[in-house]
Amino acid sequence: MSVDLSNVRNIGISAHIDSGKTTLTERILFYTDRIHAIHDVRGKDGVGAKMDSMELERERGITIQSAATFCNWKGKDINIIDTPGHVDFTIEVERALRVLDGAVLVLCSVGGVQSQSITVNRQMTRYKVPRIAFINKCDRTGANPERVTAQLREKLGLNALMVQMPIGLENDLVGVVDLVTMKALYFEGENGEIIREEEIPAALQARAQEKREELLEAVSMFSDELMEVMLEEGAIDPELIRDAIRKGTLALELTPVFVGSAYKNKAVQPMLDGVNAYLPCPTDVVNVALDLNNEEKEFAVTNSPEDPLIMLAFKLEDGRYGQLTYVRTYQGKLNKGDTVFNSRTGKKVKIGRLCRMHSDEMEDIEFCGSGDIVALFGVDCASGDTFCSGDISCSMSSMHIPEPVISLAIVPVDNKAQINMSKALNRFTKEDPTFKTFVDHETNETIISGMGELHLEVYVERMKREYNAEVQVGAPQVAYRETITARAEFNYTHKKQTGGSGQFGRVAGYMEPLEEGEYEFVDSIVGGSIPREFISSCDKGFQKSLVKGSLCGSGVTGVRCVINDGAYHAVDSSDVAFQLAAIGAFKDGYMKAKPVIMEPIMKVSVEGPTEFQGSIMGSINQRRGMIIGTMEEGNYTVVEADVPLSEMFGYSTTLRSLTQGKAEFTMEFSAFKQVPKLVNDELIKKYQSEKKNA
Amino acid sequence: MAKKDLVMKNPLRVLGLEKKVKEKGAGMGLVIARAGLGKTAILVQIALDSMLWGDKVLHVSIGESFDKTRAWYDDILDLMAAEKKNDNFQTTVTEIMSNRMIMTFKENSFNQAKLEERLDDLVQQNIYKPVCLIIDGYDFQKGDRAALQEFKEFMVRRGLKMIWFSATTHRDDERKSPVGVPAPCHDIDDLFDVALLIAPKEDAIDLKILKCVGGVIDSGTSLTLDPSTMLIRKA
Repeated sequence: MSVDLSNVRNIGISAHIDSGKTTLTERILFYTDRIHAIHDVRGKDGVGAKMDSMELERERGITIQSAATFCNWKGKDINIIDTPGHVDFTIEVERALRVLDGAVLVLCSVGGVQSQSITVNRQMTRYKVPRIAFINKCDRTGANPERVTAQLREKLGLNALMVQMPIGLENDLVGVVDLVTMKALYFEGENGEIIREEEIPAALQARAQEKREELLEAVSMFSDELMEVMLEEGAIDPELIRDAIRKGTLALELTPVFVGSAYKNKAVQPMLDGVNAYLPCPTDVVNVALDLNNEEKEFAVTNSPEDPLIMLAFKLEDGRYGQLTYVRTYQGKLNKGDTVFNSRTGKKVKIGRLCRMHSDEMEDIEFCGSGDIVALFGVDCASGDTFCSGDISCSMSSMHIPEPVISLAIVPVDNKAQINMSKALNRFTKEDPTFKTFVDHETNETIISGMGELHLEVYVERMKREYNAEVQVGAPQVAYRETITARAEFNYTHKKQTGGSGQFGRVAGYMEPLEEGEYEFVDSIVGGSIPREFISSCDKGFQKSLVKGSLCGSGVTGVRCVINDGAYHAVDSSDVAFQLAAIGAFKDGYMKAKPVIMEPIMKVSVEGPTEFQGSIMGSINQRRGMIIGTMEEGNYTVVEADVPLSEMFGYSTTLRSLTQGKAEFTMEFSAFKQVPKLVNDELIKKYQSEKKNA
Repeated sequence: MAKKDLVMKNPLRVLGLEKKVKEKGAGMGLVIARAGLGKTAILVQIALDSMLWGDKVLHVSIGESFDKTRAWYDDILDLMAAEKKNDNFQTTVTEIMSNRMIMTFKENSFNQAKLEERLDDLVQQNIYKPVCLIIDGYDFQKGDRAALQEFKEFMVRRGLKMIWFSATTHRDDERKSPVGVPAPCHDIDDLFDVALLIAPKEDAIDLKILKCVGGVIDSGTSLTLDPSTMLIRKA
């Protein structure tokens, strides 16, 4: 294990689904001697790629959970987090980016920049992650890395610069030209492990020279020394160019672009050289923590092993040996057997076992230091918790968590499944903050909600496979919300006298829309018309009312409840009586406050041949979509639109039949918006009839 | 009231575009300047003005990305929001956004026939029927009088009321039409009803109204641009 932090790289590999990033990781592990044979992603050989350790991932050929691994390339310790490509698993990508110092953005040389790449890039920008790009699949028909580089500039706004150019394309791809050293690299041997360095082929000389000029002109902006050498027209030391590229990359002003084909074992090793040369080490990045002893004032972590320990739990997994917690250390040093504090709960935790993770295999270690990504055993915590040594109390900044947009009702098939399902849900909700669950007391069904159909589908499958919990699944339901649009007064008296001690409580005040936030309770009682001990009962009563709105039974958000009057009885008033009075008061005010139903709107991007543009736009229009714009890219068109999620079920089938299977779409949550009147009425009618039949 | 307020207080009122659109039928407008002086900012403000009237706008951006074009609108709206300090501003913005659609084309693939084809896709399926067209980035060096006349005929065929173009002048080309429209549009200025020239001064940027057929300009009225925000003001 390296102590010198300049020899550590914490990197993520993120990209659009099916751009081949798991294959790329597999090759990285092979070339760094972490594995000794290469396996297919889809598990055709019955083994599956190393990083896709979940059975389900191997079957579907996509990465669902990010797995962490570690390797060493030319003296640098590289911690790699393989992140999922599907937009439904964005939280995994976000978490990974929070703890990483740099990233490799993998793109398909045919598909180019797609909407998930745009999402991932936006996230990388949010967390200020320097990146390099790897344009993969250059062996595929239609490969065009130059077009993809142009897209990186146009669509992602990156200053993308090719530091390599391919030698041949599609079936003729044989190697790459390194534009820094001006050498041709060929990859030979059974798995491309032998690199042969040659002079650039004569046919490519002129083009390579042209591309190098472009590169030098752009990178010289970051190095006065390089600029001077260029002006003097002297021989340029490749190290000088690399230094300039590194400076530009770390400043987020440059994205070096590598090309190759991981599947065909071409040019993965030079990309690894790029990770070493251009991506930051932990000390190159400023990470900020919040000082809990000083009004959450921000301070930069030091990275020093001498300072008190700070580490962030960014991922939990329930493995064979109990809970496994992935942590990133930001400063200090952790030894096996040390005791640390969870700054959220204030609890002491003893670290009994410390491991480096290599996908689902572990390597026990004695200590870890600043910049390391390791796994802890048997530590009870939630994702996002910060651990500190006793002499400091701080929290790493919180992560952005999106709200779930879709829900499913699940019913266990028998008692055994019921018990197992509870265990599974308990674990999944702890692991994944975008996955939520609750029991609908009216229908007695368990509702799970998340970020998309695939997201929930995967959890249902995992329940079955990992917990033996067979459940019946209802049709996916959109997670509607209710909110109020006007201020309304309420005044309700709860009175019950059925023998013995009675119940009495009066709650009066008003409710009004809350611009930001979900709920706010304001106590404006003066003169003790409601005794202090019953104020929190009113709050509880209102919160209970928020769970289910009376329009369509969805949760109510964006409400401020203010109480300013009330009455009590010396004997009959109680916690329960005031809770019920508040529930009655909420009912009284709610319908007067002009409630409306809100629905999740998705940002949809459809990409297909230009000849189908009319059909694509028509299909979006039929689904209550609002087309924001269209982009013509050669023979391809991209249509961007905002479409209600409720209208997107089954869209892939429609799109396939409309475009002879030539178009594809991606979507991600954009915002909650009020539903149109017609839909509003339908939802209310449906809810009323469900209530009647319940 | 926010919307009405924004419409009435808009300095663009002096051009009488509303009257022109309602009474006169189809017309073409031109915003001309050297590169980097803010043509797109002006076009976006003209588009927003139309959107506030309730007219549907199709913003065609040639050689510029979709995100960049959208970012122009977001930036201008942010600046307007900061300036107006109107509580209902955000609601107004959400309301008018359904009146905007953006289409982007590569420089080498744009022509009037292609645009008409795309517009047909929208109109025939009743998806979107624009009244105002913004064409930003049209190459006047290549496009001749006949091509511009085609656009005029296309407007009538498609029921468009106004098309706004942007054109880039070059410092070393000093040709001008009699009303002052510089090259490359100097010999086709008769095709435009409105021509606005962005002219930088020492400490400000003038928006000179070179031509405004049927406008309601009071004598001595001129417009200026705030150089820090590129928002239009009355001088």
